[in-house]
Amino acid sequence: MTARLTVENATKRFGGLVAVDGVSFEVPTTGVTAVIGPNGAGKTTLFNLISGALEPTSGRVLFEGEDVTRLAPEKRAARGLVRTFQLVKLFADLTAVENVAVGAHLKSRGGLLAALLGTPATRAMERRVDEKARALLDRVGLGAVADRRADTLSYGRRRLLEVARALAAEPRLLLLDEPAAGLDAEESARLSSLIRAVAAEGTSVLLIEHDMQLVMNTADQVVVVDFGRKIAQGTPAEVKADPAVIAAYLG
Amino acid sequence: MSGDLLMQSLVSGLAIGCVYGLIGIGFCVIYNASGIVNFAQGAFVMLGGMLTHVGLKTWHLPYWAAALFAVVAVAVLGVVLERIVVRPLWRRKAPVFVMILATLAAQIVIERLTFLLVDDQPKTLPVFTDLPPLKLGAVALSYQTLWIVAGSLAIVAGLAVFFKSTLTGKAMRACAIDREAALLQAIPVSRMLALAFALSAALGAVAGILLTPTQYTAFNVGVPFAISGFIAAIIGGFGRPFGAFLGGLMLGVVQSVAILSLGSGLKSAAALSVLLVFLFFRPAGIFGVAK
Amino acid sequence: MTNSPDTISPEAIGKAFAPVPRGLGAILGFAPWLVVVALIGTALVVGGYISTVVAFALIYALFVSGLNVFMGLTAQVSFGHNAFAAIGGYTSAVLTTAYDWSPIAAMGAGLAGALALAAVIGWPTLRLKGHYLSMGTLAIGLITYEIAVQWTSVTQGYMGISGIPSLGIGRFEAVSDRQILVVLTLTAALGAWCVARIRRSRFGRALAAIAGSEEAARALGIDVASYKLASFLISAGYASIAGSLFVHVVGYVSPEVFGLHMVILAFTMLYVGGIGTVVGPLVGALLVSMLPETFRGFRDYQDLAYGAALIAILVYAPRGLAGLAELFRKDAP
Repeated sequence: MTARLTVENATKRFGGLVAVDGVSFEVPTTGVTAVIGPNGAGKTTLFNLISGALEPTSGRVLFEGEDVTRLAPEKRAARGLVRTFQLVKLFADLTAVENVAVGAHLKSRGGLLAALLGTPATRAMERRVDEKARALLDRVGLGAVADRRADTLSYGRRRLLEVARALAAEPRLLLLDEPAAGLDAEESARLSSLIRAVAAEGTSVLLIEHDMQLVMNTADQVVVVDFGRKIAQGTPAEVKADPAVIAAYLG
Repeated sequence: MSGDLLMQSLVSGLAIGCVYGLIGIGFCVIYNASGIVNFAQGAFVMLGGMLTHVGLKTWHLPYWAAALFAVVAVAVLGVVLERIVVRPLWRRKAPVFVMILATLAAQIVIERLTFLLVDDQPKTLPVFTDLPPLKLGAVALSYQTLWIVAGSLAIVAGLAVFFKSTLTGKAMRACAIDREAALLQAIPVSRMLALAFALSAALGAVAGILLTPTQYTAFNVGVPFAISGFIAAIIGGFGRPFGAFLGGLMLGVVQSVAILSLGSGLKSAAALSVLLVFLFFRPAGIFGVAK
Repeated sequence: MTNSPDTISPEAIGKAFAPVPRGLGAILGFAPWLVVVALIGTALVVGGYISTVVAFALIYALFVSGLNVFMGLTAQVSFGHNAFAAIGGYTSAVLTTAYDWSPIAAMGAGLAGALALAAVIGWPTLRLKGHYLSMGTLAIGLITYEIAVQWTSVTQGYMGISGIPSLGIGRFEAVSDRQILVVLTLTAALGAWCVARIRRSRFGRALAAIAGSEEAARALGIDVASYKLASFLISAGYASIAGSLFVHVVGYVSPEVFGLHMVILAFTMLYVGGIGTVVGPLVGALLVSMLPETFRGFRDYQDLAYGAALIAILVYAPRGLAGLAELFRKDAP
């Protein structure tokens, strides 16, 4: 089978600045892939090219063998490519469980008419969505705060909520943008085991991360970028020993 | 339509366009300093003419003193508006439309206060220079038109010097480019906001004083002026003061040609259509780079 | 466009509200509904002048409920919904007076017209954001006003159209104050009920997601443009029906009815009542309509009072009356 995601020669220029410069790599259908690099290495831009927030200047992005380079973010999500945000973007006016229910948008049905009529089928679907959302909140350890407004949760909990919301979309590839930023050691460890468990269920995971500890514990494959270019790729152990990587991080 | 008539309407279009341009600059000055679109801009224009009229007719001040009083009073009002309406919302990071709504409400409050304190009668001011119009062929050029054009150009030139050469002007430009960075450079961003309101209020007042002798002012002329000024600012690429001035000239000309060909009833509809065309097709304005 | 200031720890807010007993939240939540029922009830019993005021308020309540779908639930902005009320109102007025249509059929035609216009202008307009969206919608409302003034062969310009028949379905005709009030109460209640249903559905959650973060909504597969347009159409539909009801109840229409004044009044009602809540538009419309009536004889001060009240609410109580109650209920653990 082809890879879940293929990035081919992706390049993004902002005026004279080359933020991402001819990066290629693959995310396999199983396991966790991490992209790391020093600050300003172009990780977030790369991530935005994959999620569809930006279009590359040149190069291609393939999802399950199909070209999605110019596809809008919502269309990519419909194919199973779902992301979280580095600066959490929750729906502040909704409760935690409602936030996760929005995540299930693609996996449920019903428009205006269903809302107004409230047929038994619609009510049954609403119940299923609610149960699923609560189960996901339990899974990330937020079951107790399911009915709290999202903006009353602590920062760490908001991050976990965002992951639960993305999982509700039943992604085939989960994109996590610095999911451990701002988490304490315990929360970070719980996140790591959550990511492993999600990957074990057949969802491939691509994470961009600063926290080396998390990457080393979680990732099967690591891609290292610096100054917009890929400088290394391999298992965590291989990458750690790579002289180019050491130079980039120390220099 | 005869060529002379067209020329005549171009001249009057350019004159009113100068006024729109000044109002447009007022929008940009505040927008650049704060990211706020101030809809009470039209009230400043109305008050410029109205307070001058009060100074002249009620207090019997000399013309220049009445005008000076009006400009200063309106500038002070601008600061008051900034303090009691805009600043609390700005601090709370209220959404843009809340700001527009609040300033529009302020516009209505000022309008109604004027109605209650003065009256609802249209008022005009004497022309600055009471001489028969110059004749250029068949085109009549009134001295007030010259005053409007020359006064506006002088103000634009003065602003250019202010933004380019004075420390305060440079600081205001820095705020426009990056407010966070300006804060870090110890530029007093909040004082800049008050200054921006004073400056654009004064600009509005001057526009009102220049224009009123050729038309009239009344408590309810503010909103149309605000809209015209906003359109000027959009055409010029929002946030570019000199673009806004050229945008004002363009709007003035388009509007007078529209009046000539469609009748004066559709004057505002024509201006608003120009606005929609720009919003839909060239939101970055004529000089901006379309995204 | 919800603001959650990061400077105040949201957790602290949650804790601060935690000791509030559930009962208080529930009472505060019911209070606006009680006000609504009490005012309408009084109008029904007393009749006469107050019933005219309440009838007017209920029509506005419908208009504001629709606006609330677009602005409160979806966090967009429109300064131009008077355009759709004008289309509904003028269609009803012209078809019933000049062509002898029945009020219901004319209302349906007005609704179709308003929805068609909303679909056509919604497409380019809703791509705009911030002050561009504000001004674009404002322009649409003002252009519609200008057309109402200028298109004298149909609208009779400033003169207006009078002699519009009262509301009626088939042989039933609402003529007395009480009958009109009952019809309007049912319509406004139906309008509010629909908003409540929308709010608690998959459709409503998608709107709330757009309100919270368009970027995150898209990342979860929500077609933001379509949902915005749907929300815009719903609110335009409410506005159109409100416009039709207005001309039938008053029996007269002129451009002034649907001018900028209408927009400002509606915004004041929306903010007084509480934007984004179901009861907010109802309680806001009723209270704002009652207030100036208490100072009757001071008509000149009305707009001044609306303007000043709107500023005070925007600055000091941006969530309105219903919003206060909502805050207690949702944050209670």
